[in-house]
Amino acid sequence: MADLCAVVGVGQTKHASCRADVSIAGLVREAVDRALADANIGIDDVDAIVIGKAPDPLEGVAMPELWLADALAAHGKPVFRVHTAGSVGGSTAIVAAQHVMAGIHGTVLTIGFEKQSDGNAMWALSVPIPFGMPVHAGAGGYFSPIVRGYIKRSGAPSHVGAMVAVKDRTNACRNPYAHLHEPDWTLEKALESPMMWDPIRFVETCPSSDGAMALVLMSEERADKHAGPKAWVHATAMRSEPTAFAGREQVSPRAGEMCAEDLWRKGGITNPAKEIDVAEIYVPFAWFEPMWLENLGFASRNEGWRWVEDGITDIGGALPVNPSGGVMSTNPIGASGMLRFGEAAMQVMGKAGEHQIDGARKAIGHAYGGGSQFFAMWLVSNGKP
Amino acid sequence: MSAATTPSTPGADGIFVAPLVVEYPYKRTVGTLLSRFFLSLQEGRLEGTRGSDGRVFFPPAEFDPVTGRALDEWVTLPETGTVTTWAWQSVPQPNQPLEHPFAWALITIDGTEVPMLHAVDAGDIGRIRTGSRVKVRWAAERSGGVRDIACFDLLEEAS
Repeated sequence: MADLCAVVGVGQTKHASCRADVSIAGLVREAVDRALADANIGIDDVDAIVIGKAPDPLEGVAMPELWLADALAAHGKPVFRVHTAGSVGGSTAIVAAQHVMAGIHGTVLTIGFEKQSDGNAMWALSVPIPFGMPVHAGAGGYFSPIVRGYIKRSGAPSHVGAMVAVKDRTNACRNPYAHLHEPDWTLEKALESPMMWDPIRFVETCPSSDGAMALVLMSEERADKHAGPKAWVHATAMRSEPTAFAGREQVSPRAGEMCAEDLWRKGGITNPAKEIDVAEIYVPFAWFEPMWLENLGFASRNEGWRWVEDGITDIGGALPVNPSGGVMSTNPIGASGMLRFGEAAMQVMGKAGEHQIDGARKAIGHAYGGGSQFFAMWLVSNGKP
Repeated sequence: MSAATTPSTPGADGIFVAPLVVEYPYKRTVGTLLSRFFLSLQEGRLEGTRGSDGRVFFPPAEFDPVTGRALDEWVTLPETGTVTTWAWQSVPQPNQPLEHPFAWALITIDGTEVPMLHAVDAGDIGRIRTGSRVKVRWAAERSGGVRDIACFDLLEEAS
């Protein structure tokens, strides 16, 4: 049916709250140059480009993919833009993989980026439409009642969010590209962090970052002739649902469960907790780690928080989650999903450096967006499907 | 950010129209390369970048439009150029470069091949034509932006 596709190059920028040293074009190019160097190919070897970012109001540039054509050396090449809010980095990588799997292009460059310092991501998406009650609370205000719902339903102790935060901030110190390098967090200190949107503390929230991630994907024919480690794409899945509808399960959205079920089925995974070696999961607020562990089918319902308490998701645990430091340590929204996908690829390629999980063979990248309504996931391995 | 959603009132037909005003400030990080361009304007100098095919771009291109290569060869340009085409603004609007009628023109700075948009203080529609020679008029106070060029003046032409 579909052709095979492999990641042969991964490149990301140094992420920071403001990368004033580069324009949006320069930021994107930094990731592209690193991905091409990692793949050991030139920009002329690229057949097509797939680019994604969060909605254009974040930087105030409409259709930036047109302006970025020079920076992407897209002269005379097909360029495809993907829009799926916060999950876009994942969806973009999937669309790029499909360009290869469809047998249309042999080598595809894909990029996710955001330059959040040029605008204010928290408010750019909070236009007070006249037919809805304006909350003026940003993403934290939107998600805090959902987190509260999870805590009530699962009986999780209140310190689990802080545990995830400390883990991710500590992991990020092993990742030279991560935005936040804060080695001194302890659980005690984290619990004293100011309450932002009860029950979400300041330390349990992601930063706002400038950054980009780029991947080079190749068809089986090209990848087989290509020297160097590869991450073979075993399965991809996307699902969406509306923000609100009668009876919607907000804590564990049905679209996320269906997306994961589809991913496991396509990838031939019957016991994700046993078969997956490392997971890069989109966790912009710390409590989403236990929530997504359940939604993805790793942990049983109401048990995700126990995985955190038991250290299962630590580096060295049975299922390390976000050894890169994750969204909790780096969040250029349009790149964040592709950072999860790319970090998963780096793990199975053995290229994750100080945050490498020894012997990682199968990894997932996960992204979500909007009001927990857009989901994108992929399963990669060092071996062919 | 500011936004207004004051209660709407129905018109005579009973149909509501809800006002929605969205005002939102952005900034633009231009990076080190384009910072040099803005600095040169502030210092009263035109600087462009040279592309892989030898063409010079003003305003400077950051990446080569043909090869995609990051451009880093700077060329200092004269303050003169040629009108490639133009339109006449007979009734100037607020915040436009001039308060009296003027021309919007695509101006190819000498030594470059790609024109830029700016204003020409031609005085009268009959004085400007495609091919007119123009020269930069610098703003009295410059802050590092394209409006450090107040406008262009027509050069007297040898007849």
